[in-house]
Amino acid sequence: MSRPRALDGIRVVDFSWVRAGPWATRWLGALGAEIIKIEWPENERGRLPSSTTPHRMEVNLNTSGNFNDTNVNKKSLTLNVRSEKGLAIAKRLIAVSDIVIENFSSRVLQKWGLGYDELVKIKPDIVYVSMSGYGHTGRNHHYTTFGPVAQAASGLTFLSGLPGKPPAGWGWSYMDDTGGMYGAMCALTGLYHRNRTGKGQHIDQSQMVSAVPLNGPALLDLTVNGRGSKRAGFPPGNRAHWPGTPMVNNYRGPTVAPHNAYRTAPGGYNDWCVIVCANDDEWQKLVEVMGRPELRDDARFGTVAARLEHQDALDELIEAWTTTLGKYEVTERCQTAGVRALPVQSAEDRVEHDPQLAHRGMYQELDHAALGRHKVQNAPFRLSETPVFNHAASPLIGEHTREVVEGLLGFSHEDLRAGFDDGTFWPTKRQRLAYHEEMLR
Amino acid sequence: MSAVDQVEGPLAGLRVLELADEKGQFCGKLMGDLGADVVKIEPPGGEAARRVGPFYEDIPDPNRSLSFWYYNTSKRGITLDLETADGRAMFGRLAAVADVILETREPGYLASLGLDYEALSYKNPGLVLCSLTPFGQTGPWRDYRSSDLLHMAAGGEMASCGYDEEDVPGAPPIAPGGGNAWHMGGHFAYMGILAALVSRTVSGRGQHVDCSIHEACALTTESAIANYVYRGEVLIRQTGRHHAAGPTPRTQFLAKDGKYVTALVGGRLNPKYVLELAELFDVFGFAHDLRDPKYQDPKAIAEMTPHIIDGLVASFIAGLPAEDVYHAAQERGFTWATVRAPEDLLEDQHLQDRGFWKEVWHPEIGRSFIYPGEAAIYNGSPWRISRRAPLVGEHNREILCGELGVSLGELCALTENGVV
Repeated sequence: MSRPRALDGIRVVDFSWVRAGPWATRWLGALGAEIIKIEWPENERGRLPSSTTPHRMEVNLNTSGNFNDTNVNKKSLTLNVRSEKGLAIAKRLIAVSDIVIENFSSRVLQKWGLGYDELVKIKPDIVYVSMSGYGHTGRNHHYTTFGPVAQAASGLTFLSGLPGKPPAGWGWSYMDDTGGMYGAMCALTGLYHRNRTGKGQHIDQSQMVSAVPLNGPALLDLTVNGRGSKRAGFPPGNRAHWPGTPMVNNYRGPTVAPHNAYRTAPGGYNDWCVIVCANDDEWQKLVEVMGRPELRDDARFGTVAARLEHQDALDELIEAWTTTLGKYEVTERCQTAGVRALPVQSAEDRVEHDPQLAHRGMYQELDHAALGRHKVQNAPFRLSETPVFNHAASPLIGEHTREVVEGLLGFSHEDLRAGFDDGTFWPTKRQRLAYHEEMLR
Repeated sequence: MSAVDQVEGPLAGLRVLELADEKGQFCGKLMGDLGADVVKIEPPGGEAARRVGPFYEDIPDPNRSLSFWYYNTSKRGITLDLETADGRAMFGRLAAVADVILETREPGYLASLGLDYEALSYKNPGLVLCSLTPFGQTGPWRDYRSSDLLHMAAGGEMASCGYDEEDVPGAPPIAPGGGNAWHMGGHFAYMGILAALVSRTVSGRGQHVDCSIHEACALTTESAIANYVYRGEVLIRQTGRHHAAGPTPRTQFLAKDGKYVTALVGGRLNPKYVLELAELFDVFGFAHDLRDPKYQDPKAIAEMTPHIIDGLVASFIAGLPAEDVYHAAQERGFTWATVRAPEDLLEDQHLQDRGFWKEVWHPEIGRSFIYPGEAAIYNGSPWRISRRAPLVGEHNREILCGELGVSLGELCALTENGVV
């Protein structure tokens, strides 16, 4: 008998698309919940456009690599929710489910008749999580976001970069990832509360607003001390402090040096290593590792204050050493001696070269009907009694329509066929796929 | 107290013990603000996280760290030296009735004190123990030391963040600021703990959650892993915008007031979008040629993309204050925003409408301060900051005497002996 999972028996109706919402439900699926993804091929925006389809493979609804990684552990039901019949079927599904998650713009689902006020009539203890750009209340609720816009509007973008330069910001939709985390966290919290009290609720999560609490210390520096972030030396790049500017904390931990990225051999685009010495003791260890024991007595570097002041010289001499070694070699030598160092890792590095991620089984292969066998990302936590794992690659669009409509909801096979013919389960004017013919036989 | 205040948060009734430094304090806050009774157990003298600035009025003091204030709301605090028998005994009594223990100590440390999951759960089978550590409880890097910057490097964040060559020649990969490695780890730890708690509502049994910050960071780079797995691509870093397999159009433009605006235009240009851009520009009387019929041909648009983005969009934004561009664009359906500094956020009326900012009373100072609020509004069980961060050992008497029955005399003796 297989071991129990944390969310055994929990069913999630997933109206989410693109990235943040699907990233949320992916984790609920890894925890054992049944995720039923409601899709419609005419306005799908997570499968297409795709920039992650393998070379020499046709770009279509079933060949996005990123969609696959983002949508493991789910079933796909194609359903035209904007038809009366489709809406009724959606409600029938919700009546036998525990959680609804959606990430449409504010009030879209309400307009379709699928708002919390409607759904609570069908399923009184439903946990309903809305993941929108700006939330369902507030004057800008109708504004739209993608990750970079949520990051800009919330202050996250501003806190990253070199002083005197434009913000470097985040090189991806961090708030799609993190918004997705909050979606999953809200769903689990609502579910826990329901299991304890019997009460469901509507949870209104906003991608933009969720980013603001990630700037806590900077915001308290403002509201308590009156110090803004538009100031000389901020943000300080990879350093804890920029030399020659006022000595104030820059919201990434203690103010220490060295605290920077250094080039390593052979000098490629991602050949960098970061090194941090949190105190004098770690610095003394580093000079030993570098084979420069004479630096022990160098007054420019003897104290934290001196190292902070002489960071340019400090960084130069550290880099003179790191450029003679590969980034994993620098890491191993430093860490063996108790000095904080890790390599800058690209995606390739993480998948192919990171011994820790390999040991922990971070990337495991799953078979996908169109894409073939590929590595997907696993959960970063282990639950000792209820294993967390990816049990299925992402679904083909509408792959589980029959299973859900007939198996779960109890419609007849004739009902299924009629629904294909009248445009409830697939657009009438759109070419059906091979597996549709199979399920309609 | 209003009626709303009397409704409990979704985690009300949960007792959480937090043995956490900078790596786990955010996760504890997430639980505390949602109603859990979080008791933070610090070493005598307080956690090292109290020594992280900025400090209130720039006066360094374990009770004045704003970083500590922020990450430790809605918690009570006691001090206990777990390396003493007395400290362990009191911890054991608290653990016997706890629902969750969140710990960030080095792997093996709690076990060396006889406080591993097996021992802790022996008398408390419903206990959820979450160990949130840099690399998890196993593996070749298990005992490596870390920091936020180190995690941003190895997790892949830095490989995706930086500058266009023309903005900063030879720029290094740039680690995003704000201590987000701890946020990433905290979010996943919260998820693991809640999953274990949900499971417990059915099974009655707790379990051990082994959460790795390195893995959490390595997971948080959107499509970078898929770009590599499916296409073998290693992505380049670009100023203020997405990593990409090759250069993409700019998205960050300087406005008249010195702020930047993030305007996502590249990849979206089509005849309809061009006309909508023209309408947006017309609102402010900005001279342009976008109504020329030549722009109704997708091929021409493709050829003219640099002119539209680096010429027209950049000039339009350069002529206006950033917030004017932001609101005018969003009202017309453009997914654009001002790049705001923290000081720009307090004026945001949308956040005010949502009641985002919270007044938190500091009795030791005799005034309240404004804190950031909730990521999500729980309509049936509200998020709330129930108290400011604890002072060092603030609740020793309340918890050790009040709950464990330690007498005041014993508490004095334990303090003299460095146990609390």
